[in-house]
Amino acid sequence: MSNSLPKSSGRMSVSQSRSQDIIKQHSSRHLGRLLQSFLFFILFYLYLWLYVDLRLMYHGAGIITNFPVFYKGWTFFLPFLSYPGGPLEYLSAFLSQLFYYSWAGAIVVTVQAWLLSVCIDYLLKAANLLRIRWICFILPFLLLVLYTRYTYYFATTMALLIALIITCLYIKMTLSRTTTLSCLSTFLSLSVILYYLAGGAFLLFAVVCAIYELIFRFRWKTSLFYLLSAAAIPYVVGLLIFRISIIDAFCNSLPFSWKILYYEVRKRQVTFVYLLYVLLPLTLFVFGLLQILWKRLHFVKGRTKKKHRKKLSNLLLKIFSRYRHSPKLKWTVESLLLLAIAGSAVFYSRDENLRTRFKVDYYSYHKMWPELLTSAQHNAEDPFIAHAVNRALYHVGRLGYNMFSWPQHPDYLFLSDNKYKWTYWQIFDVFLDIGVINIAENALAECLEGIGDRPMVLQRLALINMVKGSLGTAKIYLGVLSKTLFHAEWAKHYLELLQTDPGLSTDKYIQHLRSLYLDKDCLTHTLLMEKTLLELLERNSQNRMAFEYLMARYMLNKHLGKFVQNLERLHDFDYRELPTHYEEAALIYVYGTRKPFNLSGYPPSPQKRQQIEDFSRLLSSYGRNKQAASKELSKKFRNTYFYYYKFASIGSNK
Amino acid sequence: MTRMHIRMKTKLHKTGKAKFIYAIIVCTLIAVSLFYACRDRKALITQYSSIDRPAKVQPNYAGSVIPPNIAPLNFVIQQEGTGYFVRIYSEKGNPIEIFSRKPAILIPKHPWHELLDLNRGRQLNLDVYVEFAAGASSSKGENIRWSRFQTLTAQIAPEDIDTFLVYRKIRPGHGTWRDMGIYQRNLSSFSESVILDNGYFKHGCVNCHAFCRNSAEKMLLGIRSAVYGSSALLLEGDKVQKIGTKFGYTSWHPSGRVAAFSVNKVRQLFHSAASEVRDVMDFDSLMSYYLVDSKTVKTSPNLAKKDRLETYPTWSADGRYLYFCSAPVTWSDKTVVPESYDQIKYDLVRVSYDLDRDQWGQMESVLSAEDTGLSILLPRISPDGRWLLFSMCDYGCFPVYRQSSDLYMIDLEAAKKTGDFAYERLDINSSESESWHSFSSNSRWIVFSSKRGSGVFTRTYIAYVDKNGKVHKPIRLPQKDPAYYDSCLYTYSVPELITGPVRATKEQLGRVVRSSENISVKMPITMATPKPGQPPEYQQPWQTERE
Repeated sequence: MSNSLPKSSGRMSVSQSRSQDIIKQHSSRHLGRLLQSFLFFILFYLYLWLYVDLRLMYHGAGIITNFPVFYKGWTFFLPFLSYPGGPLEYLSAFLSQLFYYSWAGAIVVTVQAWLLSVCIDYLLKAANLLRIRWICFILPFLLLVLYTRYTYYFATTMALLIALIITCLYIKMTLSRTTTLSCLSTFLSLSVILYYLAGGAFLLFAVVCAIYELIFRFRWKTSLFYLLSAAAIPYVVGLLIFRISIIDAFCNSLPFSWKILYYEVRKRQVTFVYLLYVLLPLTLFVFGLLQILWKRLHFVKGRTKKKHRKKLSNLLLKIFSRYRHSPKLKWTVESLLLLAIAGSAVFYSRDENLRTRFKVDYYSYHKMWPELLTSAQHNAEDPFIAHAVNRALYHVGRLGYNMFSWPQHPDYLFLSDNKYKWTYWQIFDVFLDIGVINIAENALAECLEGIGDRPMVLQRLALINMVKGSLGTAKIYLGVLSKTLFHAEWAKHYLELLQTDPGLSTDKYIQHLRSLYLDKDCLTHTLLMEKTLLELLERNSQNRMAFEYLMARYMLNKHLGKFVQNLERLHDFDYRELPTHYEEAALIYVYGTRKPFNLSGYPPSPQKRQQIEDFSRLLSSYGRNKQAASKELSKKFRNTYFYYYKFASIGSNK
Repeated sequence: MTRMHIRMKTKLHKTGKAKFIYAIIVCTLIAVSLFYACRDRKALITQYSSIDRPAKVQPNYAGSVIPPNIAPLNFVIQQEGTGYFVRIYSEKGNPIEIFSRKPAILIPKHPWHELLDLNRGRQLNLDVYVEFAAGASSSKGENIRWSRFQTLTAQIAPEDIDTFLVYRKIRPGHGTWRDMGIYQRNLSSFSESVILDNGYFKHGCVNCHAFCRNSAEKMLLGIRSAVYGSSALLLEGDKVQKIGTKFGYTSWHPSGRVAAFSVNKVRQLFHSAASEVRDVMDFDSLMSYYLVDSKTVKTSPNLAKKDRLETYPTWSADGRYLYFCSAPVTWSDKTVVPESYDQIKYDLVRVSYDLDRDQWGQMESVLSAEDTGLSILLPRISPDGRWLLFSMCDYGCFPVYRQSSDLYMIDLEAAKKTGDFAYERLDINSSESESWHSFSSNSRWIVFSSKRGSGVFTRTYIAYVDKNGKVHKPIRLPQKDPAYYDSCLYTYSVPELITGPVRATKEQLGRVVRSSENISVKMPITMATPKPGQPPEYQQPWQTERE
């Protein structure tokens, strides 16, 4: 007895120390995983904030057409309570507004991604699939791809998140409940709540619960009941109670809703959203089945395997064993692998051209001209970017000097070709700047319908109506804007100004736009731009933009006769010197027609004369063979109008 | 577990439960006290200074004639103050007294209806008091904080207005659209419900709703969809059918057996420098009719003249005449905007019709554009057959886009006696466009769309027509939030009054739109250049969409 005590206490201390070791090991592994997640999500956040720049998505560039609007007050909130999925839409609309600040939007998306991974991790742990817990990072990877491609699926991914959270809740609540009835009641109550909150995303919950009950709890009847509920609940709650359409009852908030699939621009990269949705049920189903199979096989072939293993002792196994027993090494390798996969996902999904489109459009709307010109260099051939570049060049006073340093085509000035007939977002500002207010208003009204009552659109519409003196209409747009989160101050300023100064005589910008406003009306479906520009100049000969765009138009269309005729107008403006391209165009005209050289009083530049002679000489040296000479001419004269005049085809895009 | 343990646990449980109940009671008491403390206190205003002018209120109903069954006419007092008191009263019944800290006055529904019902045909008075932080001093040296403005008065009409109003809500776009729908509004309350919105058929277009004799029992609804095709929904009671062709502007024969409709080849255009950007032209159009019993579409040479554009049909109350607008085609190339587009003016004509024999008479001129100098559009005849209400504008076929569009009326009874269709411009017109008008079933009310106050957004107005044909100052369709229209981006168009609600559910209608089943009809001709047996060409949405 006396001997047995120390023996047993010795055994106990061994087991205690062993369990302490296990706890230590477990907690260090847990800490390692935490650190890994922390590092990953910090990088995730920085990437979204600094590279993707979520304010570009808020802006939308006319490409994102489903970015939600959000207004303060009950009037906006209450309708969201009237249909399943409405509360989630409201929450998503609110959180999406934070994209206005890139850093805040990045926090929202990072938290969302983190919660998604936490939910997946929890569910895999609950299913005892500990070896494949790395899967929890796949969802953030997919999100990275979606944001790198500038697609807006925030509401859909929020629905997924809520469905997963509720699934975790179900598993947690039913862990201690053994009776089927209590599980069923939990499932039904959670289902109704989830369906009301997130609409069709409830289907994912039902499917995951069904798989869980079937494969991990072996309750096929319960599983079947859950699947039947997936069909019944949307029908009863959605169709019979809330009276929404049967399609919406089942599909709202899901990536295969017609609200996404019906529109080409909205379904970009939708496959990745499908993957987000199927990942968990598929993982549980496949790995759950494999687990069952593995257990059965392991039970039968356990001995033989062990024997077989013993025989295998090679270098690879040693390395593997070392890797398994060195937590630090394991952590390092896993972390590097994680970053490598994330990096690859980002690398292969990035689209610099698209990103440039978003950036240029953002800078263009906010009149950030130097930033626009810097960014535009990445994708200068894009017609929309080229169009914005021309506008930026005008605003920095370089249109007559540098426009041919950029790719050009006659359509780029106003995006006037028939193929741009549905392009409204990109054109309203150029027409507003130049004074064709009605075309800008028309384009904005179309945007209001196509893209929604986004603050950017409302702001411009309010401005236009103030310019036109339609104060009643302006007040309505300002009234809507005053309910937004970030544009309310601007609206309130104008609403107050309209009270004190209805003529807006103190607002210089509005007065400036009024001074340009085209007053000659015509009824048309396609604006004749040359006629319009001349009418603008007739209305206000000081309309510099109309003049420069008219001259640019003549140059782009190679109408040099008309160009030279209008050089006289230079005196209406304060040009200290003749813009380079104007001189080049005038020289071509003079050389072509052999008419006397007249630069409307501006002294001719000997360098330009030399340049055109060099150009002509070089072309002659190739026997005037344009194709043969193009390479060398391009090297020396690429940025001149001489080169454009000779080589640009104005029939189709350059 | 011992008995003691169990008892203790029960006791603990009871204590916990009791605590919980106490907590709830305390919270409720606090909430109730807070509610009482914060709520607007009623005050008896004994001393006030009088202001010799009416208070500035929005909307201003003073001088209007209001339906006795209309929803409360909430309003905002546009006077700065720290408190507001309103007393609404008439000859009979209890006055309604409202004290508010905010300038928005929300009138309680039941007392309002009671007061209006008791005082049909009488005057409704509205006293407005405003509390100012620093008031004037009385002769006794007391500080008077309240001021009373002059009483505002409105007239309560003896006759009810039809309880439901159906309209389309759409944004003021030109060619594209996203959300639009046909809604019905209970005029006695603020309840609005969707009859059908385009969410049910993938954002197609829904428009041109027409009822037979102000009844929801017989209705036609136009649908355009790139996915499900163009069609017209025919509602007869609970039964909904899809007719496999698009109806334009539609009017039901009083018998409900025939529906006349226009087929329009619309072109949407814009003005480069006018106050209204948008405009619409019919490059071609004709009149046709659908026979409900035989499920056929027909036309007649007098309804579809090659050299004329026919549109906007409306039946006389006895069903013996079809009135419509007709303009000569003065240009040869029907694919381009004519130079003289602003000279296209529509005449008002009519053709007699024998329902039993399905026979049409000759076209007669009712009112010619040459005489009026304006384009005559949108004729509507009151159900009692007495009044013909129409709009006239400077040119064209789409008054809602013409600022010059005003409402006019002809006394058909007088015209019958004298043979002269003398017309009169209504006093209710504004400087902006007035259009899309229709009558109530008792012919005492008209509803119409007006752009007054904004120039872009159409709102619905309700006006009383007395027995002499005088149309009184209208009221804007009331909303619960009196500032609702200040930030409303929807236009309300084609308001139609009906006596009861549309019973078919939106899901039912949506299902019919989506289904492939339809009443297949053959168009007798398409446009003014006849092509027998073919349906009208599919028009791109931007060509046909209109407000």
